[in-house]
Amino acid sequence: MTAVATQLGRVGTWVNRQRQWLWAAFFIAALVFPFVARPYHLSLTIEVLVFAIFAMSLDLLLGYTGLPSFGHAAFFGLGAYVVGYIASTSPLALGLTSNLLVTVPIVMAATALVALAIGFFALRTSGITFLMITLAFAQMLFSIAIRWSSVTGGSDGLSGIPRPTLGIGPLSYAFASRESYYFLVLAFFLASWWLLRRIVNSPFGWTLRGIRENEQRLRALGYNTFRYKMAAFAISGAFAGLAGMLLVHFFRHASPENLYWTTSGQVLIMLIVGGTGTLTGPILGAAVIRLFPLLVSTYFDRWRTLQGLLFIAFVLFAPKGIVGLLRGERDEELL
Amino acid sequence: MNRKKSLTVTRRDFLKLAGGTTAALAMPAVLSACGAGASGPLRIGVLLPYSDIYAVLGESITDAMRMYFDEVGNEIAGRQIEIITEDTEISPDVGLQKARKLVEQDEVAFVTGVVSSGVLVGLRDYFHETQKLLICSNAGANELSRGLKTPYIWRTSFTNWMAPWSIGAWAAQNVGTRAAISIPDYAAGENNVTGFSNSYEAAGGEVVMVQRTPFPNMGDPAPFMAELADSGADLVYTFYSGGAAVTFVQAYSDFGLAGQIPLLCAGFMVEEDVLPAQGSAALGTFSTLHWSFVLDNAENNAFKTAFRERTGRDADVFAVQGYDTARVIAEMLNEVGGDTSDTNAMIETLAGISFASPRGPFAIDTNSQAPRHNMYLREVQEVEGTLHNAIMENMGEIVDPGNDSLG
Amino acid sequence: MENFLIQLLNGLVAGMLLFIMAAGLSLIFGQMNVINLSHGAFYLLGGYVGLSAVRQLGSFWLALIVAPLVVGAIGFVIEKFLLRRLYGGQRHLEQVLLTFGLALVASDLIQWNWGAFVESVAPPALLSGQVPLYTIQFPIYRLALIVFGLALALLLWLFLDRTRIGAIVRAGVTNAEMVSGLGINVHLVFAGVFAVGTALAALAGVIGAPITALYPGLDFEILILTIVVVVVGGLGTLKGAFWGALLIGMADTFGKAYIPQFSLFLIFAVMAVVLLLRPSGLFGLEAWSR
Repeated sequence: MTAVATQLGRVGTWVNRQRQWLWAAFFIAALVFPFVARPYHLSLTIEVLVFAIFAMSLDLLLGYTGLPSFGHAAFFGLGAYVVGYIASTSPLALGLTSNLLVTVPIVMAATALVALAIGFFALRTSGITFLMITLAFAQMLFSIAIRWSSVTGGSDGLSGIPRPTLGIGPLSYAFASRESYYFLVLAFFLASWWLLRRIVNSPFGWTLRGIRENEQRLRALGYNTFRYKMAAFAISGAFAGLAGMLLVHFFRHASPENLYWTTSGQVLIMLIVGGTGTLTGPILGAAVIRLFPLLVSTYFDRWRTLQGLLFIAFVLFAPKGIVGLLRGERDEELL
Repeated sequence: MNRKKSLTVTRRDFLKLAGGTTAALAMPAVLSACGAGASGPLRIGVLLPYSDIYAVLGESITDAMRMYFDEVGNEIAGRQIEIITEDTEISPDVGLQKARKLVEQDEVAFVTGVVSSGVLVGLRDYFHETQKLLICSNAGANELSRGLKTPYIWRTSFTNWMAPWSIGAWAAQNVGTRAAISIPDYAAGENNVTGFSNSYEAAGGEVVMVQRTPFPNMGDPAPFMAELADSGADLVYTFYSGGAAVTFVQAYSDFGLAGQIPLLCAGFMVEEDVLPAQGSAALGTFSTLHWSFVLDNAENNAFKTAFRERTGRDADVFAVQGYDTARVIAEMLNEVGGDTSDTNAMIETLAGISFASPRGPFAIDTNSQAPRHNMYLREVQEVEGTLHNAIMENMGEIVDPGNDSLG
Repeated sequence: MENFLIQLLNGLVAGMLLFIMAAGLSLIFGQMNVINLSHGAFYLLGGYVGLSAVRQLGSFWLALIVAPLVVGAIGFVIEKFLLRRLYGGQRHLEQVLLTFGLALVASDLIQWNWGAFVESVAPPALLSGQVPLYTIQFPIYRLALIVFGLALALLLWLFLDRTRIGAIVRAGVTNAEMVSGLGINVHLVFAGVFAVGTALAALAGVIGAPITALYPGLDFEILILTIVVVVVGGLGTLKGAFWGALLIGMADTFGKAYIPQFSLFLIFAVMAVVLLLRPSGLFGLEAWSR
């Protein structure tokens, strides 16, 4: 097994060296993809890109700031329901607009605000306590969504959510086709990745890393770490909300599942499998976690067992996630 | 290995790269199978849960469907039948992706299945817009026959309204005029409240209490028992499914309510799949449903024997629904001569389909796009050493009104 | 008033069942600083093994012994070959992934072996009666459960606090090297603790089966509630598991009795409030909240 890991490490080194070429290849592939891929694969890709944004947002919080959140679905689901309520044509909802110029700022502002509200309380704790408080808040939101059926559609969820539009007045474009929606999601994905990368590599980002390593020391140096954590929480929440919005525009339906602890758990697993604190890790993790069940369950009834075994294998052979494997990092104790 | 390669990309390199990437991506597109159209194997997509709490329903429906198709030699109107099953778990999002896979990737002629109402509601827009046919073999959400009705979704199962509404009048006239209702706090639970209340109150009854219990996890039902005992009601009407069906019935008996206050429920709560686990705690429970294991007609007797032989277990209402779905599919395909290229033509045949089913006379109602069948009043009794739902009364034909006028 | 007393009794039952579930998790969490997400799966496995034991051996009492033994043995093996590599506070994420993976495997294999039907276990004949209480009958089995829970709490406390082995377990956590320097096999101690923890989960599964039934998906329902109890009560202490279980059991029961539609909200609100006021839980050790 170590031989395989070594080989993968070499792959990782090679990947690193050929960066320029791979970027070019990637861009070409991404642009051409919807026209050569089968529609079903296109929808899988869209789903992966959306969850990649979700996972990256959690990486900012967990991987870079060291705050393990078990309630990130709160923001994801909130984004889903906020845009759903504004845009859906269902008799329950407002059906006002699905114009991105309106909905994106509203969704991201709303989720950031809620994050600040939750963070005000939760960020006074850390570690396992933080983990459980974030879970608690997310579950509370879930129970509100299930109960408030006159607004959220209750257990059946909110359907009739249209595809988004972009523009002003007569110069409006509707992302009705799957190909166009793919490009929209791709654009958001690339923008999110780029923005998060800049944040993470900025002085602000380095302070977050400092908080992850040793918060006490930073406080001793005079940093108001609480404010930094609040900011990280808000940014992370906003991107998660964006992902939630993109998901329900695609599925045309928001359901309480988007707020449930299983979704929070799933994105956490994506991060661990992909590799925390790397920003690329969550992308790979999202792909593995979303695609594995969908692809394997067609052929194999006991796909859940396989998935469990996959996770166990990761812990044993790739404890730093896929990115760790590609970087050639291995757990020393296994050697 | 440490030599740095030149970073300039020549035009030839770029073209090689672009060509290579495009070719790699084009391959899957080129390899796509040809469509089924009017000849060749007829692919039917099946969307059911095969994991988690509703796995039993998924398995029952699938087994019965396969049984029917085997009975007709897996060939209808000259075409071979091929079933492709996909696991929806209980998630509308997963259900939607699987639906896309079946329709776009596997290019099925139409889709059938769907157990939970939440998934059905999540799928509704997809089938409505792609104009693909979904023949639902379980999910009973009232909305799909009313506000959310679409020409592309038809049901061979039931609507949630049917069972509670059927028992309401009988309860008011034969059991008592004060009723307490206990249901899980979600859409199907509400469907039961409105259905039961409508006919119960119309027959002179009064609903004195509605107890809405935590959904999705009810947990231990003990705290609810005291309130029910205190309610002063003459009867309790409930609807629970899965684990909650078992724990509720057991707690109802454990806390002494079973002998004191008659328990009425929607038939699913005491169906064959949960009756063994409920055991004697379920004795004496009244329910209404469009079938019962002990229903004595030629079709049911043959069906039960064949199902037991095939699967080694007793049939339940979900198996009946699966069986009837397969028959509806067969009749529909025969009507269009096996030509599945025109969905609208297939849909047009649905309304005219009627036959003798294990549940009795079966037909599809155009207005509600759901079945027209008999409802049976049943009581859990011990029949030859095992617990079954003995039939007290055949309540006659029922059909969903297609609107909310009756709850 | 009578209603209140009945619910108080129900709350005690709920609390004790939660305690039996949580005691195992608290032991592992607290004594080994290891996150075990497969606890719910062990509960369910214990329940199903107990079911088979009842069917094959005809005795609930035997099932109470067989199930914990079988599952505890499985726990021992898992600790020895898989979990042992992951000790240390920095490896929580790996513990999460590993134990979650185990939970998935267990969950699926359970369904494969026992089927997806809802199963039930009848309480033993000795305890299957009822006692009249105001407007209802109160099942003797549940009363017995309260007694059992209290007895178990006492037993575990005595074990950890008053026996030599208990002292070794507690010492092994704070300073494993020192303990092994004294010639004691620390690895065996930890393996033993994990085995006992999973055995307790299995015991809870058998005892709880007549009340919660057994079905796919129950394992994760149990898991979340148990984690809530352990964290609210306080990480690292048995006392915390006990009082946390009582608090959550009471909150859940009274929530269901008086505001059933909001009982889920209530549980998590209670947890949030407790954690904000006392981050390491009611009786937790400060160190474990990191």
